Amino acid sequence: MVESKHQWKAWIYLAPAIALLLVFTIWPIFNTVRMALLENYSGLKAAGGATFAFGFGNFTKVIHYQKFITCMKNTVLLCIWTVPISTFLALLIAVALNSIKPLQKVLQTIFFLPYVTNSIAIGMVFAAMFNMVGSFYGTENELIVTAGIINNLIELFGGQAVNWINYGSSYMANMTVMIVYIVWNALPFKILILLGGLQSINKQYYDAARVDGTSRRRIFTHITVPLLSPMLAYVIITGFIGGFKEYTSIVGIFGETMGPADDAGRLNTMVGFIYDALSTNSQGRASAAALILFAIILVVTLINLQVSKKRVHY
Amino acid sequence: MKKIVSIMLLLAMLVSLVACGSSGTTTTDPSSNSSTGESTPAANGAKANFDVPEGGYDGSEVTIRFYHTMGNNLVPVLNTYIEEFNKLYPNIHIEHSSVGAYDDVRDQISTEITVGNQPNIAYCYPDHVALYNLAKSVVSLDNLIDSDITVERADGTTEILGLTDEQKADFISGYYEEGREYGDGLMYTMPLSKSTEVLYYNKTFFEENGLTVPTTWDEMEALCAKIKEIDPESIPLGYDSEPNWFITMCEQLDTDYTSASDDHYIFNNDQNKEFVKKFRDWYQKGYLTTQTLYGSYTSGLFTSDSGVKSYMSIGSSAGAVHQRPKATAEGTYPFEVGVATIPQANPQNPKVISQGPSICVFQKQDPQEIIASWLFVKFLTTNVDFQAEFSMASGYVPVIKSVGKNPVYADFLSKADGGDYISALSAQVCLDQEAAYYTSPAFNGSSTARSQVGALLAQCLAADDGGNTDAMIDKAFQNAIDECEYAG
Amino acid sequence: MSMTTMHERDMQQLTAKQRVVKFIVKFFVYAFLIITALTVLFPFYWMIISSLKSLEEYRLSVPTFWPHKVLLSNYVEAFTAANLGRLFMNTLYVGVVSTILSLIITVLTAFAFARLEFKGKETLFALLLATMMIPGELFTITNYSTVTQLGWIGSFKVLIIPFLVSVFYIYLLRQNFLQIPNELYLAAKVDGTSDLKYLWKVMVPLSMPTLISITILKMMGSWNSYIWPRLVANDEAHRMITNGLRNAFRDTAGDINYPVQMAAVAIVSAPLFLVFIFLRKYIMSGVSRSGIKG
Repeated sequence: MVESKHQWKAWIYLAPAIALLLVFTIWPIFNTVRMALLENYSGLKAAGGATFAFGFGNFTKVIHYQKFITCMKNTVLLCIWTVPISTFLALLIAVALNSIKPLQKVLQTIFFLPYVTNSIAIGMVFAAMFNMVGSFYGTENELIVTAGIINNLIELFGGQAVNWINYGSSYMANMTVMIVYIVWNALPFKILILLGGLQSINKQYYDAARVDGTSRRRIFTHITVPLLSPMLAYVIITGFIGGFKEYTSIVGIFGETMGPADDAGRLNTMVGFIYDALSTNSQGRASAAALILFAIILVVTLINLQVSKKRVHY
Repeated sequence: MKKIVSIMLLLAMLVSLVACGSSGTTTTDPSSNSSTGESTPAANGAKANFDVPEGGYDGSEVTIRFYHTMGNNLVPVLNTYIEEFNKLYPNIHIEHSSVGAYDDVRDQISTEITVGNQPNIAYCYPDHVALYNLAKSVVSLDNLIDSDITVERADGTTEILGLTDEQKADFISGYYEEGREYGDGLMYTMPLSKSTEVLYYNKTFFEENGLTVPTTWDEMEALCAKIKEIDPESIPLGYDSEPNWFITMCEQLDTDYTSASDDHYIFNNDQNKEFVKKFRDWYQKGYLTTQTLYGSYTSGLFTSDSGVKSYMSIGSSAGAVHQRPKATAEGTYPFEVGVATIPQANPQNPKVISQGPSICVFQKQDPQEIIASWLFVKFLTTNVDFQAEFSMASGYVPVIKSVGKNPVYADFLSKADGGDYISALSAQVCLDQEAAYYTSPAFNGSSTARSQVGALLAQCLAADDGGNTDAMIDKAFQNAIDECEYAG
Repeated sequence: MSMTTMHERDMQQLTAKQRVVKFIVKFFVYAFLIITALTVLFPFYWMIISSLKSLEEYRLSVPTFWPHKVLLSNYVEAFTAANLGRLFMNTLYVGVVSTILSLIITVLTAFAFARLEFKGKETLFALLLATMMIPGELFTITNYSTVTQLGWIGSFKVLIIPFLVSVFYIYLLRQNFLQIPNELYLAAKVDGTSDLKYLWKVMVPLSMPTLISITILKMMGSWNSYIWPRLVANDEAHRMITNGLRNAFRDTAGDINYPVQMAAVAIVSAPLFLVFIFLRKYIMSGVSRSGIKG
């Protein structure tokens, strides 16, 4: 290890990153704290010459908001479901991809394709897949013009069409769609990272295991997963951070109403909260909400880091 | 755990630092104009915030930045008329850019204002202006409009800086008055091009079945019942926009919606609940649907050639081409479309919504920039040829009446039909109902009110009421009010 | 040891039963991969068919899976409507410069966190992670005011510099660096190899797959960035591709002509797609190129 007198060397390596972070990340965070603590702060009002008193009003207003609990619940639920599912699926796909020979190149290319697919197209396709077109559901006048691709598939296999996202749909159905969508969105990135990690694992480990006659399952749990654990930790921790910031995917499916037509805001999240505040130029309240969110993610991440310290093998 | 403690400590430090720093914070106002003196918007009879310097425009070189949302079909029209404008004022350079959608323009400008970097003029909706007004960045146009200073033009002619009485009278008044909806009686915007809602109906079907076009909501109800008898598999009416519907009903029935003064959100009243309940009943009978409830464009339902159909569609006058069915291979249409004024509560005093972009002028240090901006805004809004050409390219309607006399535009209108020239037909209807336009009060939060009443109406039409309709509606109204108050 | 010899020896040892099991396993692996690949492919397919539809058909209540009439004219319109050449060059320039600079900074920082010892390393790293947790939209206003004061508005600097440091990438690369056995580093120290030389000669080649992943992500970032460039570089000379595309196909009512927009997106995606096919080879060969066994 480097002796302590060489510490300055490390700081030279860190200098460019720290300098940029100070200007473009730390300073804005500092400013966020400032705005959160000024009562009803608004950037435009400030530009107009208004001054703001110091206080915690922004925080109390956010916490007392009637839908605060709903937003928290949605955010947490989405995280708890999507992160494990998407990580596990991505791991399976990456390992499978790594294990085959014919078609490997073609399939790898296909799994990269989402990167060049425009996000608008992804939103459109999901709307088309789950969207029911028609009216008067549950009344005697019920008319269904199209039940959507997913329902067509369900009916093809003899199932009952489900009202996924339109009015009258259940919270469970809504959440299912969101989980599928978010997992799907998250997959390509995770596959890319995990595949990159798998390619770095020296083939000799596998060769040795195979010579010893180790079963596939044991190879997976005793070689692949431990050797991949740094990448898995990365994917899970960043997955949680991203999951807590979920917002655009919900707009993609439900639009600005953040819920089915008969229950607007049902699926709103913490970040949706922040956006709503920003759209009326209430930066004070947006900052307060952001800091609350920050505190939550911080705790979750610290727990994650503690766990990964024990489990990750470098 | 050490990390948690150190991060908490650091956060605490940040907080305390900020606490010290904030008390001394004085924010400078980068956008205030030196010549304006103090003004207090929101109070009635407020003073205009811009005084025209003596001499008006002095011919100096200025560059005017103009933000808009024009697509590729409209930019060439704008460029042509910028050239025309530069023949009169060669030293005023117009740099324009299409920023995106209306909300993009709003977000861009509200960020730029915080560092005093806002453009000179921009497309705007009333709630945007209310937002910019928080920073007092929008120039009130009153003194410019009233100015009788003579301005020399490069072609040797002159004009007065303000608007002449003829020019003022030429504006469709509903459009012009929108600029004054900010609660302080001052004029902040000029209308550029407008649209409204119109009723599209399947004329062929109406003629075959001897139906008449409804002028009142009562007639509409009877008509829907009749259409349901003729074609039980139909949804007689599709309404595009729930917020427009709610707000228009308030206006037609003369009930409270919002107010620009202190108590903004006043739509929670029995009259409003009554019409919501009535439309719920219609919905439950299968008479109508809306875009969010239907799950797709209601125009798609109207133009459908098979399966479930609608025979009437209320939508934007600027979207007329979307309400026309697909042409056959021979270039004919499966049915003819008729266009009419939307149904009214009181046909003697009709009310239809006014939509579409206006233009506002922003504060700048140099008064010459403001005057030059005004000259350009005045040029765009009062130039008959520009208004005519812009309207034909965009599907919007002109804001001045004399455009009807422009030969090209008159020719366009004369071709109006329910097929190839459906845009002309819808424009004709818009021009004929010029006295009916209304606009709603604008304040910071007016867009929240708009989206809340839209969601409220959609919910009340379709939601399961558990047997007690009134309770459900009461609760929905109260929720909408709570959301508005939280946001505002 | 080469793969072929391994393979041959395996085959000799296989019994008939094992061969059947192996076949079934392979079958399921392929079935799984092909089904998931199709799901992943679906939006891409949707993008392509949407780009071939007429606006009328796009607006139908029941979406069609194959355009009734294939309209290539959307592509012509997309190509002529936006100043694609200029947008492309701007984006390429910003993408390449910021990717190179970002890679350098990421490598240096990740190395310091993975290999060098200094006081407060753990805390600093946790703090770095913490910065990822605040929604970036809140930074926009403050950063905008900063770059205005620095006088960077209307230059490429403003598009490149503020986003050079990504904690996501630093974290990713650090994870990768940590996997490289420390013995190599200590051996290099004994040989008197400088840190920088060791980093360049050993760590970087060993982490090629991760570095290429970062390159892809960063390039995609430049390609898709929208909110910030719109705010700071909305002039012809600096406009980025997404901004140019989003604005080009809009009528006054704010309605977007999606088919034409999709055509435009497909046009600009094509070069990226080719780059991917090219880079994929490097991801695959990342390990074998390193020349390190251990």
